[in-house]
Amino acid sequence: MDLNMLEISDLKVSYEGDEILAGIDLDLSRGDSIAVIGESGAGKTTLGLALMGLVEGRVSGRIFLDGVDIAALDDSERRKIRGKDMAMVFQNVEDALDPLMTVSDQIDEAISVHQDRGYLRDVGGRVLSLLASVGLEEEKGGSYPHQLSGGEKQRALIAMALANDPQVLILDEPTASLDAVTKSQITKLLQERIRGKIALVITHDLSTAARLAGRMAVLYAGRIVEIGETCDLLENPRHPYTRGLIRSSPNMTTTKDLQGIPGRMVHGVSGCPFSGRCTQRIDVCDKEVPPLAEVGDRMIACHRGGIVPLLELSKIKTKFGKFVAVDGVDLTLYEGETIALVGESGSGKTTLAKTVIGLFSHQVGEIRLEGVPLARRDRGFYRKVQMIYQNPKESISHRMDVFDAVSEPLAVQKLGGPAERAAIVKRVLEEVELSSDDAFLRKYPHQISGGEAQRVAIARALVLDPKLLIADEPTSALDASVQAKILKLLLNIQEKRGLAILFITHDIALARKVSDRMAVMLSGKIVEEGPTGEVTTSPVHPYTMRLLEVAPDLAPAREAIVTGPAGGGAWTISEPLPLRAREL
Amino acid sequence: MEEHNDRHLDSPKVVWDGGRAVARAKALFGRGAFLSNYLIAFLLILTLNFTLPRLMPGDPFQAIYGEEALLAMTPQLKAQLVERLALDQSMGQQFLAYILALAGGDLGHSYYYNQPVLSVILDFLPWTLLLTGSALVISTLLGLFLGIESGYRRGKRLDKTLLAGLMFLNGFPDFFMGIVLLLVFGVVLGLIPLSGALTPYSGLSGLPLAIDILHHLLAPLAALVLVRVTSSYLLTRNTMITTLQENFILAARAKGCSEGKIKYRHAGRNSLLPVVTATGLSIPQMITGALFVEIVFSYPGVGLLLYNSLLTRDYPLIQGILLMVTVVVLAANLVVDLLYSRLDPRVSHAR
Repeated sequence: MDLNMLEISDLKVSYEGDEILAGIDLDLSRGDSIAVIGESGAGKTTLGLALMGLVEGRVSGRIFLDGVDIAALDDSERRKIRGKDMAMVFQNVEDALDPLMTVSDQIDEAISVHQDRGYLRDVGGRVLSLLASVGLEEEKGGSYPHQLSGGEKQRALIAMALANDPQVLILDEPTASLDAVTKSQITKLLQERIRGKIALVITHDLSTAARLAGRMAVLYAGRIVEIGETCDLLENPRHPYTRGLIRSSPNMTTTKDLQGIPGRMVHGVSGCPFSGRCTQRIDVCDKEVPPLAEVGDRMIACHRGGIVPLLELSKIKTKFGKFVAVDGVDLTLYEGETIALVGESGSGKTTLAKTVIGLFSHQVGEIRLEGVPLARRDRGFYRKVQMIYQNPKESISHRMDVFDAVSEPLAVQKLGGPAERAAIVKRVLEEVELSSDDAFLRKYPHQISGGEAQRVAIARALVLDPKLLIADEPTSALDASVQAKILKLLLNIQEKRGLAILFITHDIALARKVSDRMAVMLSGKIVEEGPTGEVTTSPVHPYTMRLLEVAPDLAPAREAIVTGPAGGGAWTISEPLPLRAREL
Repeated sequence: MEEHNDRHLDSPKVVWDGGRAVARAKALFGRGAFLSNYLIAFLLILTLNFTLPRLMPGDPFQAIYGEEALLAMTPQLKAQLVERLALDQSMGQQFLAYILALAGGDLGHSYYYNQPVLSVILDFLPWTLLLTGSALVISTLLGLFLGIESGYRRGKRLDKTLLAGLMFLNGFPDFFMGIVLLLVFGVVLGLIPLSGALTPYSGLSGLPLAIDILHHLLAPLAALVLVRVTSSYLLTRNTMITTLQENFILAARAKGCSEGKIKYRHAGRNSLLPVVTATGLSIPQMITGALFVEIVFSYPGVGLLLYNSLLTRDYPLIQGILLMVTVVVLAANLVVDLLYSRLDPRVSHAR
């Protein structure tokens, strides 16, 4: 019960039986700024209004401000706190300001309602200084809301909230509906004004959240699912929902194509609120609500402890005689994630892939699949791990028609009867956007196009519903438009099924668009690894820099491509180079 | 955005002032256009009033003065009228004569009262203005007050009672309400006078006279108010309910405003605007209603005068009354329009 603190414990709000907030716990001390992010309908605004005491629904739980439980106060006591100790900046929507009052009058009102009768300070002077502090000219004070631009209205709303220098400031979508330039001005203003206060930034806009808040809480269906330091959480989301949010928000930091989150939010489910949309759910997820527990420096509410590592490689060495093709590789691939393995031919990419799938065996090191060390590759292994190859026509037996090729894994795994297999094959073919009619099923590889053949290969890999797909140059034999379609398809399947993809390519431009993380391989070693956006914009290793230099771009009149290091000779690794590899 | 751009201009102050001047000129022009609407409407009414009797078949005398009047007309009176109405001249000159006569306050001669029409009307008009004016103001203010309180307590007992009660009252026509009031309070209970606007030959003056006038006014006023209050009540209540859901109400609450401030200063004031518009539109109906109520209570207003002049076929008087009523309605609308732009800054700036 310290002073200068806002402690929220087990805050619940329900409207007519629908639980909008299902137990929020948050502790904030003076100077803290926390962003509450999430989709619309997650309960973000309800949280802000509940703190202000302005929700219509049933509220339970406790809100301690300076050691006093303000949730227990009666209406008139609560009114004295509103706008004085705790204020809210509303989103600049059309009617957030009273259309019939001038801006100054509205700011003036915010001050005078909290003044005792008979005691009049210099309210006018205070209004002027507030206008100045939010960057509004004095004459704008005499304007009516309809005479102001969106940015000016937002400034007026901020001035109103700051009127009594509140200890707690709740910002509800403070920059939504503003254009980019105004948005950055307002963000800058808010950064200055929230200093030394307790700030709660409610937003669906990750970039605003990142700029305004030191910490971030991810709200989903009325529950906090992840809390962490802002930069850490954005770079390395640990809850599947957080990752989904980041993937679906356009920004200049990540380079992968936008992906959504399958399904839609449902309130009041019995188990984990996200379980219906989660691609890594297990039985317990539907039954019990996961508590928000500390995992490392994060708080995560997930029965699986966040996004699970699917494939962990440690110190893998694969030798052919004396030649070391893969030389001590450490790599972790998470559920639903794509890692691009890039490098020139002969760097050991394909050897590494084939080592994982079991076509080559490694001499040193350990492979763990879903946390279990891999002893031998039985049928169970191949139900979880599948591979697609560079040349689709060669990877499908010439003696098998489409149906045989796609259903073969089912036969190998002894799954289902003939009718069931046929149904699965048709469903998977439709999933990869191929025809599932009998005529197509009876076609042989030489009768279909390269793009179709690769789709058939993908269907064959997906028919067992694997968790990991190793894609070795899956599109390099295809022309650009077919390649784009195949990649979109893979990303969609990943979005839907949570498929992890180890994507092997020599094309860094391609890797940039499809992968979450990137590992650059040279001479059997990973020389640089990190989030794709970071690796491609600020590479550390000179080999990565060179790869980026020679990557295709559309700028005309570039100087001739240099393929080796200055002075000729082959690329070698100089040991003291910093490694970006992260232990995740 | 704007303030940002201005910084890069060489002389932002000059540019700003220029914009102001243009805005002011626009506002002035806008105000002119706004008033000219009323002028055009007024001219149209005059033209109609001039044209209609002249379009009727037969003798304009017959149209203007009716058959009975013509029978009683002496040749020299007829010659005098032909000269005054310029009936031997062209239509254009007739119109000119008509306008000139109007400008001189000459609305014609009422032969029933044997007085100029204008002076007859002016004898009766103040009572009508008193009745309709106070009915308009009281019903609007009462409707606003009840609407605000009722809308603020939507679904509560007070709201439900008011809604049901006022809807019931709204079902009566004005004159029926008048008859009921007259019967109950006048005939049965004997609390109110049965007719007139004041006690004749009482020799009262000052405060007792005012009380006497109020006493006579009470029942007709109540009849009008009880029926008319519902429309402004319903409109206020509905607007109040929508206004209360707006974001600025939430923002006002977040400031810590008391419920009273939210009810009247924020929600109430914003709910006022459509009510003012509707009040302006309801003025003609109010006057029609007053005509009937005046007849019921034998209240010496323009309504009663019109009724009598219809019975006596005093055509010049009827025409004069109609012209007067339209002008009053027009003027009332002008007042409402001006009031509206005072109430809503958005309207005055748009003009």
